[in-house]
Amino acid sequence: MKTMRQMIWIIVMMAVVVFSATSASGQEITIALGSEPTTLDPQLREDGGERAVNDNVYETLMARTPDGKLKPGLVASEPKLLDPKTWEVKLRSGIQFHNGEPFNADAVVYSVKRIIDKKFNSEQISFFFTIVDAKKVDDLTVQIITDGPDPILLSRLYWMKMVPPVYSKDPKFAETPVGTGPYKFVRWNRGQNLVLEANPGYWGEAPAIKKVTYRFVSDAGTRLAGLMAGEFDIITNLLPEFTKKVPQAIHILGLEHPIIILNADAGPTKDARVRKALNLAVDKKALAEGLFEGFAQVAQGQLLSPSFFGFNKEVGPYPYDPNQAKALLKEAGAAGASIEIIGTAGRWLKDREMVEAVAGYWEAVGLKPKVRIFEFNEYLNRLFDRKTRADAIFVVSSNELMDADKSFSAYYKAGGVGSSNSDKDLAALIDSARTETDPAKRAALYHKAVKHAYDQAYFVWLLNIEDVYGVSKRLHWPGRVDAKMLVSEMRMK
Amino acid sequence: MGRYFLKRLWHGAIVIFGVTVLVFVVTRLVGDPVKVMLPLEATAEQRAAFERELGLDRPMTIQFVDFMMGLSRLDFGKSLWQHRPAMQIVFEKLPLTLELAILGIGLAFVLSIPLGILSALRPGGVSDRSTVFVSLIGLSIPQFWLGLLLIIVFAVQLKWLPTSGIDTPAHIILPTITMALPALARLVMIVRSSMIDELNQQYVKTCFAKGLPFYRVVGVHALRNAALPVVTLTGWELIRAVAGYSVVVETVFAWPGLGLTAIQAIEREDLILLQAIVFTVAILVVLINILMDVAYKIIDPRLKMG
Repeated sequence: MKTMRQMIWIIVMMAVVVFSATSASGQEITIALGSEPTTLDPQLREDGGERAVNDNVYETLMARTPDGKLKPGLVASEPKLLDPKTWEVKLRSGIQFHNGEPFNADAVVYSVKRIIDKKFNSEQISFFFTIVDAKKVDDLTVQIITDGPDPILLSRLYWMKMVPPVYSKDPKFAETPVGTGPYKFVRWNRGQNLVLEANPGYWGEAPAIKKVTYRFVSDAGTRLAGLMAGEFDIITNLLPEFTKKVPQAIHILGLEHPIIILNADAGPTKDARVRKALNLAVDKKALAEGLFEGFAQVAQGQLLSPSFFGFNKEVGPYPYDPNQAKALLKEAGAAGASIEIIGTAGRWLKDREMVEAVAGYWEAVGLKPKVRIFEFNEYLNRLFDRKTRADAIFVVSSNELMDADKSFSAYYKAGGVGSSNSDKDLAALIDSARTETDPAKRAALYHKAVKHAYDQAYFVWLLNIEDVYGVSKRLHWPGRVDAKMLVSEMRMK
Repeated sequence: MGRYFLKRLWHGAIVIFGVTVLVFVVTRLVGDPVKVMLPLEATAEQRAAFERELGLDRPMTIQFVDFMMGLSRLDFGKSLWQHRPAMQIVFEKLPLTLELAILGIGLAFVLSIPLGILSALRPGGVSDRSTVFVSLIGLSIPQFWLGLLLIIVFAVQLKWLPTSGIDTPAHIILPTITMALPALARLVMIVRSSMIDELNQQYVKTCFAKGLPFYRVVGVHALRNAALPVVTLTGWELIRAVAGYSVVVETVFAWPGLGLTAIQAIEREDLILLQAIVFTVAILVVLINILMDVAYKIIDPRLKMG
C-alpha cells in the first residue's frame, strides 16, 4: 500500500515537471550555453558566457548588421574623424539605462575611461589599447582620442559596452547588470540559470521575444539531448555530425580560420616552391566535406573571411593539384623531405583530425610528414617559440574585430607572436595599413599584403569554419557572422 | 578507541597535507595558466602583466610559503577563472556533489541487500542468474554512456524527466540512477557472495535447527556476519562517487557540483580552484574512511581498534 502511494506520488511529481517544462508561453525561449558567465560586468573579463548574455543587456556606440557591416548603434550618425587622432561621436538623444540613469556624453566618457584605466585591469584591453582619452564636448557629443591614427577605432567601439556611470560603482553591478539594451536582467541563479526579459522602455524596435532563459550545459551531447527534448530553443557549437538530427541547424560563416604556419626562414619549407607544393597537395574541399559535413568553406588563400576589412576578392584558394605539387617538390629538390607538423587535440573543433588529414595529403605527394600532437600548454610553447620555428604549425585564428590588422600582426608580420617569416616588405605593408586612415588606401595596402603572402605561400590556408547552432522548430533566427546571439533578432514562427 | 581515532585523524591530516602539496607542485610544473587564459594573439607584455597580476612571476618557494599561510586560514586565494575566493566556490558546489553521491550510493546500498540475499538464497536459480546477468551489464556499461542512454530514453523519447540541470526535484532522478547503477552492480555481487558463504556456515544450520524464524536467521544473524565486506565496499563506492563518478555524472547532466567544476578548472588551468577542490575531496575521503571504521566497530564489537 505504502509503496503504491509512493509510486503515485512519483508519477504526479513527474507529470508536474513535464507540464512545467512544456508550459512556457509562445514568446519565451531558452538558450543553452557551453559555459556560465563568471561575472556580469560587461567591461572586465574576456568571457564567452558573459558576452552571450550581456550582448542583449548592453549596447555599444557602433553596431553591425547580421552580415557584418558596421552601422550606428548608440551614436546618431557615423563618427567623424576630426584629425588623425580624434574621433567625434554624436549620440542619440533620449536613451535611458534600465535603472533610469540617462545615457549621454558623461556615460560615454565614463565608460571609455573605466575600461582603459590600468587599475581596472580589463581583460578586454587588447581591443582598446589605442584609446588614450575621451572628452565631453556637449551633452550629446564626445571626442575619443587615440595614441596615433587608428583606422579600426569604429570596429573597436563595437566591442565597448556602455555602462551607467552611477550604478556601475555599486558592488552589485557585477551580478545584476543594467544597460540600455533591448533586454533587462531579471535573475541569475549561479550554476542553474539566468533570466532576461524584454525592456519595455527600449529606444529601438520592441523585440518579439519577451523572455529568455540561459542554461549552462558544458557537454555537447547533453545540449543536443535538451534540444531534442524540447527544453532548449538554441544550442551553441553543434557538432557537424549532429546537424541532420536536429529540428533546424543554422550555419553561418564564422570568424575562425584553421591554417598551417610554414617556416619560411629555415628547413625544407624555406623554399617557396615547397610551400606552394604543400598548399597544392591538400584537398581543402574534401576536408570541408569529410570532417565538417560541409559546414566549412575553403579559405580564400588568406587569413580573412569575405566579411572582414582587407579581404582581397582577387585572391582565391590554391587548387588541389597533387601532380603539380610533386613536380614543384622535385624541382626544389625536396622530394621525400621530412616535414614536422605541430598540432594539438581537443582545443578546436576537429583540430587533430585536420592535422592528420593534411599529413596524409603531404604523404601522398611523397613527403615524410612527422605529426606531433601536443597537450595544449606544450603546444603553445611551440607556437610561441620565437627561436626555433617548427616546419609547420597548425593553428586556428579567430578575429572578432573583423579587420585584417589583428590576424596579420599576429601571424603575417615578421616578429608577430605566431609568425614564421622575416619578410620585411610584408611587415612594412602591415605597419603602414595600421595607421592609414583613408579606408580605400588602407584596403589597397591589405590587398597587396594578401597577394604577397599568397604568392610566397607563407601558410597553408585550409578552411573558414561555419558557426553551427541547433535551433528548435518554433524559432526563427538567421544567425550572425560575428557569432553574437542577439535575441532581439529572433522571433517565433 | 579514543586514542585510535586521534591516531587516525593524525594520519588523515598527513595524507591531506601530502596531497595538497603534491597538487601545488604538479600544477605549477605542468601548467601555465597565463598562456592558456589569454587570447592567442596577446603580446608578450600583456602576458607578463597578467603573470604579475596572478603572482605567478614570484619564485616557487615564496609562492609556496604564501600558499601554506593561506592554507592555515582555509584561504586558497581567488580562482583565476571565476575571480571569486576558491573556497566560496567549493562551498557552493560541495552540497550538490554530496547530495548526488549520498543519494546514489545510498540507493545502491539499500537495493543491493534484498537483491543480494535473494540471489544467495538459491544460487543458480532463476532470480540469481538474472541478478548476476544484470549486474554484469551494470559493471560493463561506461557511466557516461549509461547517463546518455537514460537521457535519450526517459527525457528525449518518453519526455518523462528533464535532460539536465537542477531546477526541480525531478532533475535529480536520472543522475541518481546513473550514479547508483554501477555501484549497485558491484554491491549486489558482494552481498551475494558473502551471504552464500555465511549461509553455508554451521551456525546457520544450528539456528534453523533451533527453530528460529527464517527472517531472523537470514536477515539478522547471517546478514550481520556478511556485512563487513559490504560496508567496506559501500564506503569505497562513496569515495569513488565523490572523487570520481561525480566528474562523469555531473558533466553528463550539467549538474553544477564539484566534479563538473573540477573539469572546468582543469580546462582553464585554474590552479587555485583546483587546489581547493583537491584539498576538500581529500578531507572527504579521510572522513569517509574514519566513518567506515566506526561502522565496523558497531557491526562487530569484537574488532580491535588500533
